Amino acid sequence: MEISIKGLNKNYYSEGKTIVALDQVDLTIPANRIFTLLGPSGCGKTTLLRCIVGLEMPDSGEIAIGDEVVFSTEKGIYVPPDRRGLGMVFQTYAIWPHMNVFDNVAYPLQTRNEPREEIVRKVAKTLHFVQLDGFEKRPATKLSGGQQQRVALARALIAEPKVILFDEPLSNLDAKLREETRKELRAFLTELKITAVYVTHDRIEALSLSDTVAVMKSGRIIELGTPRGIYFDSDRRFVADFIGRANFIEGKVASVGNGETTVDSAIGAIACEKKINASPGAAVTVCIRPEFIRVLKGDHKVGRNIFRGRVESLVFVGDAYEGEIRVGETLLIFRIEPTTAVREGEEIALHFDPRHCSILLN
Amino acid sequence: MQKTRKGLTPGLIAIVGFLTVCPVVMLILGSFSEGLNAFGTFTLSKYVKAYTDPAFAEILVNTAVFTIGSAIVSTVLALFLAYLNTRTNIPFKFMFRIISLIPMMVPHILFAVSWVLLLNPSNGMINLFLRQVFGWEGAALNIYTLQGMILVEGLLDLPIAYLVIAPAMSAFDVSLEESSKVCGASNLRTLVRITLPVLRPAILAAATLVIVRSLASFAVPSVIGMPGRIYVLATHIYRVVATGYVTDYGMAAAVGMSALAASITLIFLYRHLTREGEKYVTVSSRGYRPSVIDLKGARYPLFGIVALLSFVLIVLPVLVLFYTSVVPYSMVPSAKAFAMMSWKHWIAVLKDPVSLLSLKNSLYLGVGGATLGMILSFFVAYVIVKVRTKAAGFLESLSFLSFSFPGIVVGIGFMWFFVQTPLYATIWALLIGYIATYLPYGIRPLTSAFVQIHSNLEESSRVCGGGPFYTMRRIVIPLLIPGIVSGWILMATMFVRELSLSVVLSRPGTEVLAVQILRFAEDGLWGRLSALGILMIFISTTLVIIASRIGAKLTKVDK
Repeated sequence: MEISIKGLNKNYYSEGKTIVALDQVDLTIPANRIFTLLGPSGCGKTTLLRCIVGLEMPDSGEIAIGDEVVFSTEKGIYVPPDRRGLGMVFQTYAIWPHMNVFDNVAYPLQTRNEPREEIVRKVAKTLHFVQLDGFEKRPATKLSGGQQQRVALARALIAEPKVILFDEPLSNLDAKLREETRKELRAFLTELKITAVYVTHDRIEALSLSDTVAVMKSGRIIELGTPRGIYFDSDRRFVADFIGRANFIEGKVASVGNGETTVDSAIGAIACEKKINASPGAAVTVCIRPEFIRVLKGDHKVGRNIFRGRVESLVFVGDAYEGEIRVGETLLIFRIEPTTAVREGEEIALHFDPRHCSILLN
Repeated sequence: MQKTRKGLTPGLIAIVGFLTVCPVVMLILGSFSEGLNAFGTFTLSKYVKAYTDPAFAEILVNTAVFTIGSAIVSTVLALFLAYLNTRTNIPFKFMFRIISLIPMMVPHILFAVSWVLLLNPSNGMINLFLRQVFGWEGAALNIYTLQGMILVEGLLDLPIAYLVIAPAMSAFDVSLEESSKVCGASNLRTLVRITLPVLRPAILAAATLVIVRSLASFAVPSVIGMPGRIYVLATHIYRVVATGYVTDYGMAAAVGMSALAASITLIFLYRHLTREGEKYVTVSSRGYRPSVIDLKGARYPLFGIVALLSFVLIVLPVLVLFYTSVVPYSMVPSAKAFAMMSWKHWIAVLKDPVSLLSLKNSLYLGVGGATLGMILSFFVAYVIVKVRTKAAGFLESLSFLSFSFPGIVVGIGFMWFFVQTPLYATIWALLIGYIATYLPYGIRPLTSAFVQIHSNLEESSRVCGGGPFYTMRRIVIPLLIPGIVSGWILMATMFVRELSLSVVLSRPGTEVLAVQILRFAEDGLWGRLSALGILMIFISTTLVIIASRIGAKLTKVDK
């Protein structure tokens, strides 16, 4: 089901100060896709999720799930969370410690007074789906973190909601388990025809899991797009910086033409092949991600997008070398193959891939 | 939900405010009044009379010596026990849990009585024994002294001091001591320069708490102090309203004001110290397990001391009472004594209408009072933890106010109130007084239980389709059951043995167990006293067992 949000506002008051959590948010979440709200902590993403589910009351605006308006200040509608028929996985999983796995998962059906044998059948089916067959009688607190996470997922799925919401569900798992669970979750969600809204501050989770990503900052949605689009084509410095590591080089547009823009900067002229609406003379920032800086062996002359610099530091991180190169006064971060023979202090030539140099408007 | 919450807080503030502020206000007004029947006629004469009494200076000195002495005894013992438990390889560590919890079940008055039975100068068992065996004249040991009071009160308050010191001791970062030793300091120097100073906030907090408790204590001063004509503030107040010459509630209120002021000051000091203590604890390294000191040869001798302490604290009082309840008069255990044993005193107690009435009243007050008290505590704790507005913060301070009030002083305050109402001399007066005085003991376990319920647990239930009441029934209350049960047990056992408040508020027809036991003690009817005392312990223990059984059954996860 599609979720449409119009003009949503929410302020918090704490110790006499007003904190803007949501600032005039307009958003349409497409049906049957995985939609992620991404942003740093305090950006309002969790507040938005809690407004959709009904745990938080917005100050003004309207929320509709499918055709049903669940919240509207104008029409005076507020549907409490227990009548919205959604599923939700909490950051803490919120597994009830006084119940076993069966009761935890069966709970949404019990609130709907479904017949006992129907509940038993559906619980078994859902537990099978999340690969917890036969766990019914286990006390919920005796499960590992990953298993608790699946119980929470099973509970959110059992009543076959049209929308499921996730509030940073992987942040309590260790790194390796997080990666596995992420893949599983993606598999589960693509198998079901369901609208998933996912909140996270982890860019890798957002990129690998979503069909659509919305980046939030200070209570506003500042960019909306596919993971690739956000990663490669964002023309906002905040987004480019938040979604991955990047070098930012200040400069001025020198010439535009032939599908290529040239920018004059402190390290020299940079050719960018990305499209941009900037006329010559405009102050801009060139963004290049460390993985698109290539180190050239040998005695390269300074040429198109080729710069010379000194390796200031080099750190071996296993699958790559990460380091810093000083070009003139500018310090650039780069990332290269672990087998490349580069030493600290060495003078090297580097090349910017013009297809991946984006220009951000200041 | 939002609306009911908004109505709840002012309602609770009104109820709790009445319970805690009413006795104080009435005490203040009473202290300026001529007498119970002349309420509201302003006079300063009661203060003049109370504080110009030539005997008053001696009472103050006695009170200071008694409270500070008890604090030293229990704090030193608690330090010793906590050190052995947390830092050494002393065997049978479960004993420490028993020492810290069980004495709360032996009512203070019975503990004091058992020491009187052992050490009173005329026929205390130990004195009789010394006379028979060594032919000593008179009384070798006399419990009816200030030292005797301090010893008994110190032992009684030992669990309180232990519960404050032991957590601080186990959170203590041993690397602080180790670095002192590496720097070349001896063990003794390390103890004096490092260990004790770091633990100082906890030690002072424990001592302060014991001073507050012994200031409020009535059992020891009345059973041990009064026969030896040693009066402290609590017994002085009691003497003014209950014994001898004309009762004077105005003067009692005037005296009570200074006890109340001292208590409140000390509780503020205690709060300050515990906050200080928390500051120290955060300094220690995370997840550190203190290394255990090998006691080697001293293991069992030291354990012997611990075993002796637990014997003296738990087994001895019950044994002495039971023995006294079956022998005809005070005598040293012997073949003759065993031959003369009978159920005479038990039968006398069970035929005594006043004793039976007091049993019934105490049982009602214990079960009914604890249940009502927990219902009130439930809502107060809910507001304190979950609502979190300014008004909720005010309610929190209000509900912990009575923690610092000495029972007998609260009793005097309530007396001034109840006389103006039809509740005077009814069991309801006692019930209201009990709940007012012991409310913090019900709220405490519930607030910590509420804190443990992460709001996601409730929210998750709402998202799953459970309405507010369904969520309350299936999620919140089941998760609170351990807190509810422990709060109920605490309140019920305290109500069954309540003495200091009851001694003022209880009237013919509303006798309670502890008051009846005090009457027996005043009349020297030790046999009947002991029989009734054993019944009292039996009732408390039964209540504890039933409540924890029910709690265990309700919290079982797999049905």
